[in-house]
Amino acid sequence: MKVNVGSFDAFPERSVTVVEAGGREVGIVRWNGSVYALANVCTHQRGPLCRGTLGSRLVGGAPGTMELDDDGPVIACPWHGWEFDVRTGRAIWDERYAVRTYPAEVEGADVVVEVGAR
Amino acid sequence: MEARTVIDCDVHHARRTDDELLDYLSPAWREYVLGPGPAGIVPLTVKDGYPNPHGFMRADTYPADGGPPGSDLKLMDEQLLGPAGTVRAVLTYGDDMHVSGHHNPYFATELARALNDWTVERWLAADERLVGSIIVACQLPDEAAAEIRRHADNPRMAQVMLADNPTKQGFGHPIFHPIYEAAAETGRPVAIHAGANDWANPPSTGGATASTYLEVHALWPQAIQTHFVSLVAHGVFEKYRDLKVLLIEGGSAWIPSLLWRFDTEYKGLRREVPWLRKLPSEYFNEHVWVTSQPLELSPRREQIVELLRWFDAENRLVFSSDYPHWDADDLDYLRGRIPQDWHARVFRENAMRLYGWTEADLPTPVAEAAA
Repeated sequence: MKVNVGSFDAFPERSVTVVEAGGREVGIVRWNGSVYALANVCTHQRGPLCRGTLGSRLVGGAPGTMELDDDGPVIACPWHGWEFDVRTGRAIWDERYAVRTYPAEVEGADVVVEVGAR
Repeated sequence: MEARTVIDCDVHHARRTDDELLDYLSPAWREYVLGPGPAGIVPLTVKDGYPNPHGFMRADTYPADGGPPGSDLKLMDEQLLGPAGTVRAVLTYGDDMHVSGHHNPYFATELARALNDWTVERWLAADERLVGSIIVACQLPDEAAAEIRRHADNPRMAQVMLADNPTKQGFGHPIFHPIYEAAAETGRPVAIHAGANDWANPPSTGGATASTYLEVHALWPQAIQTHFVSLVAHGVFEKYRDLKVLLIEGGSAWIPSLLWRFDTEYKGLRREVPWLRKLPSEYFNEHVWVTSQPLELSPRREQIVELLRWFDAENRLVFSSDYPHWDADDLDYLRGRIPQDWHARVFRENAMRLYGWTEADLPTPVAEAAA
C-alpha cells in the first residue's frame, strides 16, 4: 500500500520527521536530497527510534582513527543511543540486527511510502 | 605412574636466593644492587601492600632445606607435576612477576631481562616439561618489545607476561602496543596475571582503596576486567588480529555478565570506538583464553557449570593450578567440578590451541619413551 506522507518540501534536509502511514508511525528521513522511511520502533526496548538523533556515520579506520561518511545517515535511538543505518535499517554495531524500513520515493512534489497492509 | 597428559598454565617458580638472580644482572646493575654495603642490597622484589595473615603460600610447599615455595623443582615435581601427570607446566614467576611494580623503570627492565635468562638456564634446562613466560617491564614498552623479540627463537619461552601496571592506563592503551606488536610478530600469546594493577602501590581495586587482603583478593577480577575491556575498546584485536590473550587467576564466573554488559554498552556507545568491527563478546570468543583457577565455588556445582557454559568455557578455559600459592586449586577437585566431557579440552587441548602446540611439541612421556 502506497501512502502519500506529504510534500517533499515539508521534510527539511538532514532531518527525520515522524508521520503516520497506514496505521504505523514511520520516520521519514531526508538526506542529501533522497528520502528514506523506517519504523519508529527500536529493536532494543521498542523505544521511539525516530525521535532520536540523525547524523552522519562515523567510520572507523585504524584503531584510534575515525572518518565521516556523509553519504550514510545514521539514526540513534533517543533512549539508549543504539544506532541504525537509515538506508538499510541495519544496526551499525551488528548488521545481523535491523529495524524495519519501507520503500520511499519522491513522486512529483510528494513523498510516498510503501507500507504493508496492517 | 600417572600418564602425562595435563597442561598446567600457571605454576609459580621462585628464586631460592637473591644471589641466583644477581648472576644474571649486568655488572653495572649488580654493582647498583650490591652498592649499599652495610645497608644491604637494593631489594630485587617489590613488596605487596597487603599482608595475607596466612602468608601467600600453601603451607606445605616450603622446601625442607630452605628457600621459598616454588624454588625447589624436586619438591614441585613431587607435589604437583608428577601426581598431576603434567606434560607441560607454564612457569609464571613468584613475587618476581611484580617486576613492573618497581618505581625505577630501567631497573625493572633489567630485572625482567635477568629473570627471563634465569628461567631459561635454571628451570627450562632442568626439566623438559617446563616452559617459561617472557616477563616484561611494561613501563618501557619499547624495551619490553625488544625483550620479547630476544626470545623469539626459543619456543619454550611460550608467552609474554604482564602483571603489575603502574601506568594507570589499561593494557589496551596505545602506549602498550609495542608489546602486542612484538608478541604477534613472534607468535606468543600475552598473559595478563591478576591483580594486574599496582601490587606495591594501592589502590588496587576499583572505586576505593581496600583495607584488607580479603577485599583485595575478592576483587582481583576487577583489574582483569579493566584490562580486557581496555584491549577491546582500543582496538588491539583489530590491530593485531592474530593476538591471543590469556587471563590468569582472575576467575571466570563474571565473564558472561561482563560480556553481556559490554555488548550492550557498545551498541549505544559505538561512536567512541568506530574502529571496532565486532561485538566485544566476539573479540573475547576469538582472542581470549582464561585459566581455571580460582574456579568460583558456587553453592551447587551446576551453578558454576552453567555460568561457564555461557562463555564457551569448554573451549576457552585452560587448567591452572597456581601452585604453590595459598589459593591453588587441586587437580582432582577441579576434575570433579567441571563436566567430564570437557576434561580433554580444559586439561590439555585448549592450552595447545592457545600456545599453538602440536603433539610433536610436547615432551615424550617417560613411560612411552622407554617402551
